[in-house]
Amino acid sequence: MSEHVVLFAGPMGAGKTTAIQSLSEVPVVLTEAANSDRVTADKPTTTVALDYGVITLGGDEQVRLYGIPGQRRFNFMWSLLKRRATGMVLLVHNDAPRPFESMLEYLEEFGDLYRKGGIVVGVTRSDVSARPLLPDYSEVLHEVHPDKTIPVFAVDPRDSRSVGMALMVLVANLEMRAAFARDVEAVPV
Amino acid sequence: MTAAHQDAAVIDAAAATLAALSGLSRSLRHVALVTDDGFEVVRRPDTAPSDGRLASMASSIQALTDAVAYELQLGTAKSVIIASDSGHIIQLRVPGRELVLVALFDENETVGMALSMLRVAAERLAAALDTTTVQAVA
Repeated sequence: MSEHVVLFAGPMGAGKTTAIQSLSEVPVVLTEAANSDRVTADKPTTTVALDYGVITLGGDEQVRLYGIPGQRRFNFMWSLLKRRATGMVLLVHNDAPRPFESMLEYLEEFGDLYRKGGIVVGVTRSDVSARPLLPDYSEVLHEVHPDKTIPVFAVDPRDSRSVGMALMVLVANLEMRAAFARDVEAVPV
Repeated sequence: MTAAHQDAAVIDAAAATLAALSGLSRSLRHVALVTDDGFEVVRRPDTAPSDGRLASMASSIQALTDAVAYELQLGTAKSVIIASDSGHIIQLRVPGRELVLVALFDENETVGMALSMLRVAAERLAAALDTTTVQAVA
C-alpha cells in the first residue's frame, strides 16, 4: 500500500476543515477554538493546530489529510506540517477580498511542495461569489508561475465527490512523479 | 460580544492577576493570558514588544492536548507541562473561560509549586471575571 501526506492549506474560512471532514473515512481529529476574529471570517470556531483525517483511494493508496490553521500567526504549524507533506490542496474562497493575492501568498509559502510532489488549487464558495472565474485563476498562475503546472478546480468542500476530484488529480500527479523518480533511479549509469 | 483580548474588563482583571502571580515567585520568567485561538490578552513582563508567538503556540498546544485527551477518552485535559533543561512551561485553562494561562519558570522552581501557583491564579482570575460583566462560556 502506498501512502501520501497531503496538506489542505489556504486562508481562514476557505473550507479546509470542512473538506477534510467530507473526505475522511475516520473521525477527523480537530483542534478548533472559539474564533475571536469575526471580521476576518464570520464563523464560530477556527483551527489552531491541525486537522487530521485519512482516506483510502483505489483500494491501496492511503492518503493522510492534514489541515493547517489559516492564520499566519500559526505559521510555526505550517513549517512542522510542511516537512511531512508530499503535496497540497490549496483552497481559496472566491468571495475573499483579494483571492489571487491570497492564492499567490500561500504558493510562495508552500512552493517547495510543488517540487516535492505537486499542488492543486481548489476555488471554493463560487456559489457565493461567481467572480472571478476559474480561467482567471489559471491566467494569474500562468503569469506568475509560467514554469509550473497547477490545475485549478471549482470545489465545494461540503461535497466529498467535488473535493475528492481535486485530491485524486493531486494523488495521480504524486504517483506519476514517484514512478518517474523510480524509473530514473533504475536507469543503469 | 467583544473578543477577550479587546475587552477592557478582561484585560484589567488579567493584568491584576498576573501582577499578583509575578510577586509570588522569582523564578517566573514570563506569564501570559491568551485566548483559545491564540491572541494575547496580557503578559508580564511586557517591556519588550511581543510578536504573539507564545500566544499562538500556547493555543496550538492547548488544542492538541485537548484533542489527545479526547481521542484517548481521558476526559478534559487539566494542564500542560513542558519540562526542559533550563525550566518548565506550564499552561492551563482558566475555568469556564476560553482563555489559557501560560507561564515560563526557570529551573529553580519545582514543577509542583509552579503548577500550584498557576492553578490558584487561574481560579482567582475566573472568580474575578465572574464578578465583572464579562459573559461566561455557556
